[in-house]
Amino acid sequence: MNKSTTFLPTLMPMLRLAWKKAWFRYVSFGVVLAALPLIPGMTSSNATILGSVVYFSIAALGFQVLLGYSGQISLGHTAFIGVGAYVSGYIVKELGLPFPLAVLAAAVLPFILGLVLGLIALRLEGYYLAIATLGLAESIRIVFIEAHGFTRGFSGFFSNYPRVLGYQFNKGSTYVFMVAILVALMILVYNFINAATGRALAAMRSSQSAAQAMGVSLFKYKLMAFAISTGFAGIAGAMYMHFFRYSDPTIWNSGLSLNLVVACIVGGIASIEGAVIGAAFVVAMPELLRIVPGLGSINGASFVLSGVVIILVLLFYPGGLVNVASDIGKLRSRLSKGSKHPERSTEYVAE
Amino acid sequence: MLPNKSILKVEHLSISFGGLKAVDDLSFEIAQNQIYGLIGPNGAGKTTVFNCITKFYTPDSGNAWFHTKQGKTVNLVDHKVHDIVGLGMVRTFQNVELIKELSILDNLLIGAHSQFKTGVLAQSFRLRKAVLEENEYRTKARSIIEYMGLGGKDAELVGGQPYGTLKRIELARTLMSNPKLIILDEPAAGLNGTETQALAGLIKQIRIDFNCSVLLVEHDMTLVMGVCERICAISFGKKLAEGTPTEIRNNQSVQEAYLGKDE
Ligand SMILES: Nc1ncnc2c1ncn2[C@@H]1O[C@H](COP(=O)(O)OP(=O)(O)OP(=O)(O)O)[C@@H](O)[C@H]1O
Ligand SMILES: [Mg+2]
Repeated sequence: MNKSTTFLPTLMPMLRLAWKKAWFRYVSFGVVLAALPLIPGMTSSNATILGSVVYFSIAALGFQVLLGYSGQISLGHTAFIGVGAYVSGYIVKELGLPFPLAVLAAAVLPFILGLVLGLIALRLEGYYLAIATLGLAESIRIVFIEAHGFTRGFSGFFSNYPRVLGYQFNKGSTYVFMVAILVALMILVYNFINAATGRALAAMRSSQSAAQAMGVSLFKYKLMAFAISTGFAGIAGAMYMHFFRYSDPTIWNSGLSLNLVVACIVGGIASIEGAVIGAAFVVAMPELLRIVPGLGSINGASFVLSGVVIILVLLFYPGGLVNVASDIGKLRSRLSKGSKHPERSTEYVAE
Repeated sequence: MLPNKSILKVEHLSISFGGLKAVDDLSFEIAQNQIYGLIGPNGAGKTTVFNCITKFYTPDSGNAWFHTKQGKTVNLVDHKVHDIVGLGMVRTFQNVELIKELSILDNLLIGAHSQFKTGVLAQSFRLRKAVLEENEYRTKARSIIEYMGLGGKDAELVGGQPYGTLKRIELARTLMSNPKLIILDEPAAGLNGTETQALAGLIKQIRIDFNCSVLLVEHDMTLVMGVCERICAISFGKKLAEGTPTEIRNNQSVQEAYLGKDE
């Protein structure tokens, strides 16, 4: 008791200072996320859902770079997740190569695929990227079905938890590993978004004329954002393959592509945290619906609800769920103003 | 092609939209360190000239020879729109083009975009060279904000600033690119008399402090006559006259073009 009272006053300012650093916030978030499965009473199936949230967060983070930061849309991103999954699975299981190499390849191959597709589709103005990705995704899904030697088709591709330098991961440690990858990618994205690249993207979204006049090549930045998003999708796929240890072509459907759009908009457009919150939303919602009696048995109920929520958010809460905490804070300070805690409200204003 | 004492030489520039000849065989030449005015009634084609030499439009014919800050002579017509600023020519827009969601400081940093050498990877990993570069331009941006009389507003959002301030931010942004020639499309539009007077002084000061030339399009004749050393007057895309402010003021066809339009 005595110890903590002398310890806290010195620790708090330090923490407050560190909290200003994005990497510290993201690492703290990662620690909490990684510890969630340890909560007493956490079932194995809940831990699996958490894994789903984390892998999908990685894909949504990349998609945020595309949709939120560069202002473009893709309707077939799930194909790139699938490519990452199969490529990483194949490299480890069939070629017997190390897991880190598989993750690298799972990032690089979709990245190159994104570059090539972008080089073709982005030359044309308008919604060509959306249409091109939609088309490519369907072709890739057919490859997933037909390229039996590579994907095992509908029989499904089975793989194992990762093995790195003789250390065999289990479900729990694979989950922690995924969280670490997510946090690392969040920090990387934060860094380039808050540097010249992020400003160029912001300029491109807000005034194409200003961006061009200041030397921003729209083509280059659109292409870069697209390739980053496909690369992240590939990494997400590799995570999926080595956490769920299974993949088949039905998983990589167009509904999952739409879920990326939903995640970024509902979570909060052009927000790193928003991508993660949105990913949690799209993964958790069907699970929650399953609990609701009656609704769970309706096919596509979560799909319909996704549509409704996206419209509600766009109309009434365009900043997305990421703003909930700060909006509640503002509301509280407004409510307390002039009533119970006048001194506290001035403190809020000063900030 | 382009004498050493010149910074820009526009030669036989033409562009038409449908049947309309917006710029018609226009030629003019700007000397190093000169403040040059381009005037003309509404719809004369002034903004279109800017759009042609900055490659927002590709002219149907003609050249725009330019002495780049790298010391080469190039035809701007052969370059891409986003390469122009890197060569040393930077523009503002008649309808102020700023990034409202960003701070004044960030808007200025966008003006330095062409100067940045580090790429997305170096920025992602916050490599030393990327951090140093970022800090270098932040310092520069702060000093230019100060120079423009906007000191202390670095962190304020651009959206919601008064119009005069927006005009100033846009002018400040041009200075971040280390330009040889700044081209301003109606810098005094929307400003009151005092603000316009301050702007005239500022433009002259910028020419000295940043060692560059200025080309400006303007309707405000006190500004044009007050700061420009040479003026080119156009109407319906064609050159009417070129000369010193006094010559332009006394020119018969210029007077007719303006009187014919106004009242
Ligand atoms: N993209 C375009 N498409 C069609 N017509 C255009 C285009 N840009 C300019 N014009 C036409 O070219 C002519 C010249 O326009 P411009 O904007 O260059 O005039 P301006 O001299 O800048 O006029 P103001 O003083 O009103 O700004 C106008 O008739 C205009 O309608
Ligand atoms: Mg104009």
